[in-house]
This record gives sequence, C-alpha cells and structure tokens, in this order.
Amino acid sequence: MAASVDLHKISRFANIAIPLLAVIFFFGGHFIHFYIHFLTVVFIILTVINIFYLHIQKKHTILRNFGILGQARYMLESIGPEMRQYLFASDTEERPFNRVERSEIYRKSKGIDSASSFGSQMDFDNSEVKIRHSMYPVDKQDIKPFSLTFGEERGVKETYTITKPYLISAMSYGALGKNAIQALARGARLAGIPMNTGEGGIPKYHMEEGGELVFQIGTAKFGVRNDDSSLNQEKLIKLCTDPSIKMIEIKLSQGAKPGKGGLLPKEKITEEISKLRGVPQGEDVISPAHHIECTSKQTTVAFIKHVQDTVDIPVGIKLCMGKTSEFRDMVKEMKNQQVYPDFIAIDGAEGGTGAAPKAFMDGYGMPLYASLFAANQILTEQGVRDKLKLLASGKLINSSKQFVALALGADAIYNARGFMLSLGCIQAMLCGNNTCPVGITTHDPALQKGLIVEQKAQRIANYVKGLEYDFYEMLAASGIRDAKDLNIEQLYIPNDTALADQITTLLSTTK
Amino acid sequence: MKTQHIISWILQLVIIAVLIPSAYMKLTGAPDSVSIFTQLGMEPYGRYIIGFLEASACLLLVTPNSAAHGSLLTICIMLGAALAHLTKIGFNSSSCFSCLVILIISAIVTYLRRMQIKSIARMLN
Ligand SMILES: Cc1cc2nc3c(=O)[nH]c(=O)nc-3n(C[C@H](O)[C@H](O)[C@H](O)COP(=O)(O)O)c2cc1C
Repeated sequence: MAASVDLHKISRFANIAIPLLAVIFFFGGHFIHFYIHFLTVVFIILTVINIFYLHIQKKHTILRNFGILGQARYMLESIGPEMRQYLFASDTEERPFNRVERSEIYRKSKGIDSASSFGSQMDFDNSEVKIRHSMYPVDKQDIKPFSLTFGEERGVKETYTITKPYLISAMSYGALGKNAIQALARGARLAGIPMNTGEGGIPKYHMEEGGELVFQIGTAKFGVRNDDSSLNQEKLIKLCTDPSIKMIEIKLSQGAKPGKGGLLPKEKITEEISKLRGVPQGEDVISPAHHIECTSKQTTVAFIKHVQDTVDIPVGIKLCMGKTSEFRDMVKEMKNQQVYPDFIAIDGAEGGTGAAPKAFMDGYGMPLYASLFAANQILTEQGVRDKLKLLASGKLINSSKQFVALALGADAIYNARGFMLSLGCIQAMLCGNNTCPVGITTHDPALQKGLIVEQKAQRIANYVKGLEYDFYEMLAASGIRDAKDLNIEQLYIPNDTALADQITTLLSTTK
Repeated sequence: MKTQHIISWILQLVIIAVLIPSAYMKLTGAPDSVSIFTQLGMEPYGRYIIGFLEASACLLLVTPNSAAHGSLLTICIMLGAALAHLTKIGFNSSSCFSCLVILIISAIVTYLRRMQIKSIARMLN
C-alpha cells in the first residue's frame, strides 16, 4: 500500500499521549524542577478539552472521532480561502473575478499604466467572445464624443444626458456601509457619472455628496412605500423634488436572484437603516419577489405608466431575463398600451449581490451576453428599439467586456462590482456577514475606519477615466466614429459560446 | 443573554481584585512572595514570570472581546498554584483556598464567554 497518513491512528495516539504527557511532566515538575509544571498545566488543560471533545459534545463528528487533532481541520478550513487566494490559485482561476481582471481595475483605480507584457492569459480557443478590429483604424479626434439622453423619446420634462457610457449599478446603503456609499457618490461626482441608489430607501448619504442619482424602486419600495409594499405616490413626488434625483429605476428582478426578493440580514439593520427604509429592526427584511402592483404583463406595463405619470424624469426598469417569450410578450404589451420605459437595464445572471440564496445565485437566470442580445433582437424585431435605451450589467468590469456589451446592443454600461474593486474590495466574499475586511459591505465602524472616503473617491474617478480612455481607443481601433454605430459585426463569436447558441435559437424561432 | 453578561463581568472583576495585589506583590518582591518562590526554587525569574502572567490576565479580562482568553490564562496560573500547594507548599495557607475559588470562578467565566474562543465553544454543543 502506498504510504499514507492514517489520521485515525495518529489521533488515537495523540489522545493517549496527551494525558500521559501530563503525568510525565507532573513527575518532572516534582522531581526535577518546578519550571516543568508550566508544561504540566498546559497538558492538563489539553486533556480536559480533549475529554470534552471526545465524550461530552455531540455536535461535531470530527472532534468526537479524532479529538483535539480534529481541531486542526477547523483551523485549516478557516484559513483555506486566504491560502488558496494568496498561495495556490493561479492568476486566471478565481471566481467571480480572477486576479488578472481584478488587478486591471486596481491599476486603473490607482492611475497606474495597465499595459502588460509577453502575452495574454486569457483563452483563445472557442470559449471567449473577442472584438474584431478594423484594418483602417480612425483617429481618436474624429470620434464623436459620447452622449446619451434618457427620456428624449417620450419627451419627458426633465430629460437626462450622460456623457460617459457608465453608470454605477444599484448597491443599496444597507448592503454597503456609509463610507463606501460616500466614496462611491463622491467618486461618481468627480468622474461625472450617475450612481444608482439601490433599493436602500431614502438615499441620504448619496444626496449629501451632491452627485447625480438614479433612484431605484425595489420590490419592497423602501423609502417610498406604504405598509403593504405598494407605492406611496406622495413620498415619491417629494423625493423627486431633490435636484440630484435624475432618473427612476423600477427593479423587476436582479441577476443574482431573479424571481426572488432581496434579503437584508438583521445584523445589518441599524437604527438609521430602519428609518431610511421604513422597516422594523431586529429581524431579517425580506423584499417580496415582485412588485405587489405587477402580477401580469398588463399590470406591469400599467405600473410603469403609473410611475411615469407621477414624476417628470425618465423612468426605466431593471430585469434579469428568464424566458425570452415572456420578454417578447411584455414588449408587445408595451406596444399595445403605447407605454415604454425610458430604459431597460438587462442584468445578467452572473450579477452580484449582498446576500442571496445559493441556488438562485448559481442556478437562475440567463447570462448577460445571451440575454442582452435577445433583448436587443426582440426590441428590434418588434420595431420599438428606438423607443428606449438599453443598459447592461453583469461582470462588465473591464473595457473589453464593456465593449462587447455595447456591440451587442447596450447603449451604456451598468457596473457594480467593478466599482467595489476600485474601492479596494479584495473579493473576500463576506458581503452578507457585516465582516467585510475592507470596510465596504459592513457597518462596523472598526472595519470602515480603513476606508478613507477622499482617497477612494479619487480611485473611482481614476477608474472611470481609465475606462473612458480605453473606450475611445477601442472605438478608434474598430474604425468606429460614433458609439451608436457599434453592432454585432464588431464581434468574433465562437460557436461554442452561450451567446452563439442564443443567436441561433432566437433567429431560427423568429424567422 | 444579558444577565449572563452581567454575571460574567462581576466574576471578572472578582478575579481581577485578587490578581492585581498578587501580581503587584510578586513584581515588587514582597517578602511573602519571595519566600514562596524560594521554596519552589524559582527565585527570582519564576516570580517575575508568574507576576507578569497575572498582570496580562487582568488586562485580557477587562478587554471585552478577550475575557475568555483572560479567564483561560487565569485557569492555567491557578492550576500551577494548585500544583505548588499540592507538592511543595502544603494546604495550610489561605492562599490555597483563594486559589481554588479563583480557579472555579475562572472556569465559570470561560464557560459564560465560551463564544469568544471557537475551540472552547466546541467543547460543548
Ligand atoms: C453588494 C451588492 C449590493 C447590490 N444591491 C443591489 C440592489 O439594491 N438592487 C439591485 O437591483 N441590484 C443590486 N445589486 C446588483 C448590482 O446592481 C448589479 O446588477 C450586479 O452586481 C451586476 O453587476 P456587476 O457584475 O457589475 O457587479 C447589488 C450587488 C452587490 C454586489
């Protein structure tokens, strides 16, 4: 038999050796020198602990079977993620974002040149979408500066124009701590991009920074709710008198947990959060899975109209696509009622969250590229693509992924975790525990202490600057003079990708 | 939960009330301490070490998140003291009695604060 470590044998030996050593040291201490009793004491304690592990506690099988040596397993397990991250995982191995992707963002955020050497670490077989360049690149100064006006199609009173193709995607105060929100909001203002408030209720800290905001109405309608989770119109109107609120986003679903409401663990509900959201303290707050007003395509479209009639600013929706047929039916219903949201944000199933059930995070929803293509295709096929803007989110944290999304039909890019990384997120994956080691998704003052708002706001601004620089470089390389001309021809899509599959399916069912 | 907290704090203060004079006597070389450690053959370094450990235990006991560490350290010190009484000094002094009392109180504190040390918490369910 090959040499192997028989843990059971070793631990049986240890379980006898520990009390035996206690006795031996006792005699040593007695007859040789009293100093040896330091060891006696330690081994007496170990013996007592071991007796409890082996014979008294009933909860931990490992400890009951192996005693104190089993404890080593818990220790290794608790430092496992760090060991893997720092020692054993390769640069392209980690999920959701590998080290290569993360360090691109860290570098952009710190304003360091992100050129790399020798070669790409990505795959070039048949698993990744790539961008086709042109043999005739254009000059950067010939490219039309980016500009996108929300609400122009419907002629809303206060249209909203962005001049960079980026928006900070929804992350609520609640999921994020105060410092993180302040840094994001201030950074967004420095960078000149809008920030989505997330479903965190009254965006108090966002508004203090004076940037431009997209207010999100979640399914629980935190901040603008009646007790039964229906919309309180007066509260919404009052909120929209604040000049920083530029758009409203009705969240129908989210990629990390489509078909499921949000979940705010009770550990994270401080007194202030309960006030801003209008919910009680001391219990997990679960948002309903859908807006109480929205039970069918008719009522959903009617609800969009209701909100659009309530405010003078653009009103859009956010959703993760599940069934393309449902989406098509809803678009038809929009035509029917002549009601169009001013934008639709497509969130891919790969999206992030503060807390969601594992089954939903891992198992539900269509991935971004495929669903974005489908949304764009269905809107085009129904002849209403020019009635609204299309936004996209789902791991679009670096320039090339964003460019692919723009080519697939998105007008601008929503990005959440990219900005978290820019704030210093190390992907410790503890967003739901209030123990975020870098003070982003926690309300613990001791952990937030390390997050200096002024510093990180600058990082956000640098990140956006780096992305924008790449954006124009890439347009130039693709030979495109206006971002609106970007289309799927710009992409090289291998046959084995989910995207290629979706293209084939959709085109064959509609033709 | 709340009452457990309060009880634990009271017991911690009792331990500290005993440990502080004891550490002070050892570190300043009070004649009583010197004579005990001479009997043990640990003069003077053993006296300093134990005095230092007792002072550290006090500090840990007043640190909210480390009370369990402090009481565990106290248990070790008291076990050592018990060994000394058992094998060298004899049972007739009052310090022998207080040593046993503190040992028991520390055990109670460790139990009440067991959540602070995972390996201790796992001893019970
Ligand atoms: C910590 C955290 C909190 C979030 N909170 C919300 C939220 O309140 N409402 C929402 O619609 N999406 C929320 N999201 C999802 C993001 O807005 C976004 O849709 C998703 O993470 C995909 O973008 P990304 O891949 O760029 O992160 C949250 C994501 C994270 C990581």
